Amino acid sequence: MKLSAFLAGAACAGAALCCPTQVLAQGKPIRIGVPTAMQLQVGRDTQDAVKMAVDDINAKGGVLGRKLEMVVADETENPETGISAIKKLTADDKVDVLVGGYTSGVTLAQLPHISEAKTIYLNVGSASPATNAKVKTDYDNYKYIFRVGPLNSAHQARQLTEFISRFVKGELGITKIAIVGENAKWVQDLVPLLKKGATEAGADVRATEFFDAQTSDFSPLFSKVKDSGAQYMIVVLSHASSDIFAKQWYDSRFPMPYGGIDVKSMDGDFCDRIGGKSVGEMAVNFAVRAPLTPKTIPFFDEFKKRTGRSPVYTAFGANDAVYIYADAVKRAGSTDASAVIKELEKTSYTGIPGIIEFDDTHDVKPGTPAFKGPALLLAQWREGCKREVVHPKELRTADFVYPAWIKK
Amino acid sequence: MLEILIVGAVSSAIYAMLAVGFTLIFGVARILNLAHGTFYALGAYGAYFFTSHLKLPLLAAALLAVGLVALFGIAVERVLIRPMRKSQLATLMITLAVALVVEQVLFLTFGSEYRNVPAFVDAKFTIGGVDVGGARLLALGVGVALIAALWLFIQRTRLGSAILAISQDPVAAQYMGIPSERIFAVVMGISAALAAAAGVLAGPFLTVQPTMWLLPIVKAFAIVVVGGLGSIPGSIVAALMLGYAETIVGYLVSSSWTEIVSVLATLLTLVLRPAGIFGRRAAF
Repeated sequence: MKLSAFLAGAACAGAALCCPTQVLAQGKPIRIGVPTAMQLQVGRDTQDAVKMAVDDINAKGGVLGRKLEMVVADETENPETGISAIKKLTADDKVDVLVGGYTSGVTLAQLPHISEAKTIYLNVGSASPATNAKVKTDYDNYKYIFRVGPLNSAHQARQLTEFISRFVKGELGITKIAIVGENAKWVQDLVPLLKKGATEAGADVRATEFFDAQTSDFSPLFSKVKDSGAQYMIVVLSHASSDIFAKQWYDSRFPMPYGGIDVKSMDGDFCDRIGGKSVGEMAVNFAVRAPLTPKTIPFFDEFKKRTGRSPVYTAFGANDAVYIYADAVKRAGSTDASAVIKELEKTSYTGIPGIIEFDDTHDVKPGTPAFKGPALLLAQWREGCKREVVHPKELRTADFVYPAWIKK
Repeated sequence: MLEILIVGAVSSAIYAMLAVGFTLIFGVARILNLAHGTFYALGAYGAYFFTSHLKLPLLAAALLAVGLVALFGIAVERVLIRPMRKSQLATLMITLAVALVVEQVLFLTFGSEYRNVPAFVDAKFTIGGVDVGGARLLALGVGVALIAALWLFIQRTRLGSAILAISQDPVAAQYMGIPSERIFAVVMGISAALAAAAGVLAGPFLTVQPTMWLLPIVKAFAIVVVGGLGSIPGSIVAALMLGYAETIVGYLVSSSWTEIVSVLATLLTLVLRPAGIFGRRAAF
C-alpha cells in the first residue's frame, strides 16, 4: 500500500514537473467564503446559489485563469457564532471575498471583524440600513461592505407605502386598513413610517397592533382588527409567527385579506407546509418566477432542477453576488481588495431581480419607474400553492383574487 | 365577551394537558421533568412524520405518535432518571439534557423549517357570532375528556389508588407492597402521553419546529408553581387562570403583553405563596 501510494505521488509530482505551464495557468483558486445560517432555507439557498454561479464560471474557465472555490461557515442566528464564522473564513480559510448574511443583528456584530480582516463582504440577506451606514462615515475602514440584496428596510417601507396607496386604495378601493406587526426592532422602526406614509396617501389606519414574536394565539389580535372596521390587514412579520398567523387567519376564515412583509411567506414551500392555508395572502418578495430580467426565469428553473426547491431571496443575491465579484476581479485584473472595491462601485449588472447598482453607501439601489433595479414585488398565493405577481402593475402576472370566503 | 370565554377555554385546555402530566410525575416520583416539553414536541413531530412520510391516516398517526412518545417517556425514566433519582439536581440536569439532545436530533432530521400537522377538522364554527377554528374546538373537547379520564382513572382504579398512595406517602405505600418503581414508569408514560396528545392537537394551529419544546415547559412550569407542585386540581385551576389571564390581557391590553403574564405569575407566587394555591408545602 505504502509503496503504491508513494509511486502514485511520484507520478503526480513528475507530471507536474513535466508540464509546469498547465499547473501555473491554473493558479491558486479564488476562495469565496459563505457565512450563513446553514440550517435555514435562506442559508441552504445561499450556498446552492453560490455553488451554481461558481460551477458556471469554472466551466467557462474561471476568473483570470483561476478557478473559484466555495468555503462555508455556519453563522446561525446568533451574533457570537456569526463572529466566529467570519474569523474562521478570513483567518483560517483565507477567503478572498465573503458572500452571505441573514440576520441584521449578526451582520452588525460581524462588521468590525470584516473590516479588520480587510475582506470584501457582499451581503445577500440582512436588510437593516445600519449595516451600510459606516461605509459613508468611515469609508477607509468599512469600504469592504456591500449589499447586493435585499432592499434595505427603509426602501422596503417606501415601496410598501406605495403598495397601500396604489394597490389597496387605488385598485381595491379600500381605504380602511389595519397595520399589524411583530414586536421586533426593525418592525417598530418600520411601522410608524408605514403609518405616516399610508395616512398621507389618504388611507385611514384604523388600528396599529404589535404582538410578541412568541404569540401562539392571534384571536385577540384578529378580534381587535375586525372591531376596528378595517377592511385590509397590512402585516410586517419576520421570524416565528408567520405560519401560525396564516393558519389561524384561515381557520377562523377571517373576513379580510392580508398582505405585506412576511419573511417566512417568501419561502417557496411556505404555502405547502401550512397545508395551503395562505392561499389569498400577498407577501412581498424580490423575485418570483416571472420575466423580471432575462436571468430570472432561467435562474428559477435551473435552481429548481439542481435542488428540487424554489429559491428564496438570499439565493438571488448570492448568485448575482458571485458574478458581480467575478466581473469586478476581471476588470481589476487582480483580487486585491482595494482594486476590486473600486470596480465593484462601478457595477451595473443585470441580475435576477433587476439591474444591480450600488449607491454611495454600497447599498443596492432600488428600482424606480425610470430605473429597472430590484423592486418590492407583492405576490399572491393561489390555489395549488402557486404564486402570481399582483403589484406593481408593470410586473403583474395575474389579477388579485379574494380568498374564497370573502365576498366582494 | 363570549369570544374571550371560548378562546380562553382552548388555551386553558392545552395548558392543563401540559401541566397535569408535569405535576403528576413530580407529585408521584418527585421528578422535575424538564423534558416534558420534549414529549409535546415529539407528539407533534410524530403526527407530522407518520402523516407526511408514511402516509398514515391522521387518527392512526396521532395514536401511534402518542403511544410511541409514552414508550419513550418510560424508557427515559427507566434508563436515565431511575439511576439518579435520589438527586433532584441530577434529575433536573439529565432531563434538560434529554430535551436538548432531542431538539438537536429534530434539527438534524427535519431541519429548522416549520412543519405541518394536518387538522382533524378544518371547518370553521360560529358560536354566538364568534368564529372559531374546528381544530381549536377539538383541542378543547379532547383536552377536557383526557383530563376527566385521568381523574377517573386515578380515583376509581386500583392502579390509580396506588399512584395516589405513593404521592401521599411513598414510604408507607412501599410497606403496603406497592411496587413504586413500576408505578413511576406508568406515571411517566401517562404524563408523556398527555403532553404528546397536546402536541398532536395543538400542532395544526400552532407551529411544529425543533425549539417548540421550550415554551410549553415554561408555561407548564408557571402553572404548576401557581397551582402548587404536585397538585392536579391546583394545576387545572392554574391552567384556567393562566389561559384566561393571557386571553384577557391579549384582548384588553395587547398581544405583545401576553407572554409576560406567565412569568409574572410564577414570580409573584414564589414570593407571596411559595407553596402555590393548592400546594401543601413549598417545593423549592
